[in-house]
Amino acid sequence: MKTNFQAIVVGAGPAGASAALIMARAGLDVALVERGTFPGEKNMFGGVLHRIPALEEVFPDFWERAPLERHIIKKGVTFVTEGSSFSTVIEAGSFDRPPFNGYTIFRPRFDAWLAGEAVKAGATLIARSTVDDVVTRNGGVVGVSVLDRGVLNAPVVIAADGVLSFTAMKAGLRRQTFDPAQMAVGVKALLDLPKGVIDERFGLVRNQGFANEFVGCTSGVRGGAFLYTNYDSLSVGLVFHLASLRTSSKTPYDLLNAFLEQPQVAKMVRGGRLQEYSAHLIPEGGYDMIPELVGSGILVAGDAAALCNATGVHLEGINLAVRSGVLAGQAVIAAHQSGDFSRQGLATYRRLMEESHVLKDLRKCRLAPHMLHNDRIYNDYPELVCGLMEDIYRIDGGPKETLTQLFLKRARKKIGVKNLVADAFSAWRAL
Amino acid sequence: MSVNDKLLKTRFLVDSGTPHIKVDHSVCAECRDEPCLVICPVECYKKEQQKVTFSWENCVECGSCRVVCSKGAVSWDYPRGGFGVCFRFG
Repeated sequence: MKTNFQAIVVGAGPAGASAALIMARAGLDVALVERGTFPGEKNMFGGVLHRIPALEEVFPDFWERAPLERHIIKKGVTFVTEGSSFSTVIEAGSFDRPPFNGYTIFRPRFDAWLAGEAVKAGATLIARSTVDDVVTRNGGVVGVSVLDRGVLNAPVVIAADGVLSFTAMKAGLRRQTFDPAQMAVGVKALLDLPKGVIDERFGLVRNQGFANEFVGCTSGVRGGAFLYTNYDSLSVGLVFHLASLRTSSKTPYDLLNAFLEQPQVAKMVRGGRLQEYSAHLIPEGGYDMIPELVGSGILVAGDAAALCNATGVHLEGINLAVRSGVLAGQAVIAAHQSGDFSRQGLATYRRLMEESHVLKDLRKCRLAPHMLHNDRIYNDYPELVCGLMEDIYRIDGGPKETLTQLFLKRARKKIGVKNLVADAFSAWRAL
Repeated sequence: MSVNDKLLKTRFLVDSGTPHIKVDHSVCAECRDEPCLVICPVECYKKEQQKVTFSWENCVECGSCRVVCSKGAVSWDYPRGGFGVCFRFG
């Protein structure tokens, strides 16, 4: 096996494959190391890939080439209580035309496609290979060691090995332990359902898709749920803040069962047969969780760099991963031109990231993770919203109260005016 | 639906005899919080006869146990290349 390369990428997910693709297209000899039997095999997410301009720059006809399930034309948010729900839905004509605004995908297919494009461009894919350490010389990273396979050498390594990134940790760019307050765990059930049933049930035609998120269905645990339409299946699942879940007495699978049995949700998933159950960690600490992005001979991209924008309104990760991978690739190309792989030589990456939407967005939403550590969001507010809507529409023969009266009555009882004002302020500041 | 029923369609290539997670049960014996029992999405950790037991065969490699165990009982590595969970839909 060939062991010397001009760059090594650890992890063939969206960040790693994008980095490898950019570098290979520039003529560099790149190793793309993946622990699965194929890229994407180990990867799981909720299911919606937001529009990725970074990939459209590489593939102008992205939506014609990539293995996509449906394009999202309808986006909803639903507040849920035990017995009722209140939804808002936006359906936009512009989301139904290229460039589409987002898609549902399956990671084993999508990631394998993207990595395949990197291989077509000349990258060497080394699958079934778990990287267990970095190799250093004079304090700089000069390769990686692969479990059972030996050492791969290169003047620069891109750590794109996901949320737990042992590569970044071994290189000393991130702490050994994680803070449960900065992490979330997602669980998902993939339910198959005929395309015609999905189209009828959710009001879709052709390859149109629906993405819905839910608040209030987690029995008080901080988190939320999602339901996304694939071509002929549904992705349904929940995401929980680890710090909140660990102090509850509820397991993720019991909470998933309860969600699927909620009367309004049960109707949406009726008839779906389970095809796969999966789980994954999500780095949700935002800007303050980002590790050192650059070390001597090493760059960190994607989930490994905690590049995830989960503000409640936005739930982005892969688009940030791809952009960071592309920028890391560009920084390595520049370093090969200058011959400088030191921390200073690779600092281009940090600068490019600062100039891109990745760090700008994360910095803008820096307070969001703290704002979301508010238990009222997950219980009291959904009950307030659903209860208020019930009050407004209920006909009971008595005189009607004004909206303000109805709202204040419920809000005083459920949340308290002081909390309401404080929460509104903190949400405004964070978003 | 139980976790085992949920996992019927999730594929694994189990690396028999080579657990990628090792749990130091002497540390667990002193632990009162036992967050692993609640956190693990596939019930790898169970309480049997007052003791926390661990089996790794159903592990989906999420890493939640590694994050929440503050006592350092969990030694967590990825499985050898090609082994472990094989997502078909992810």
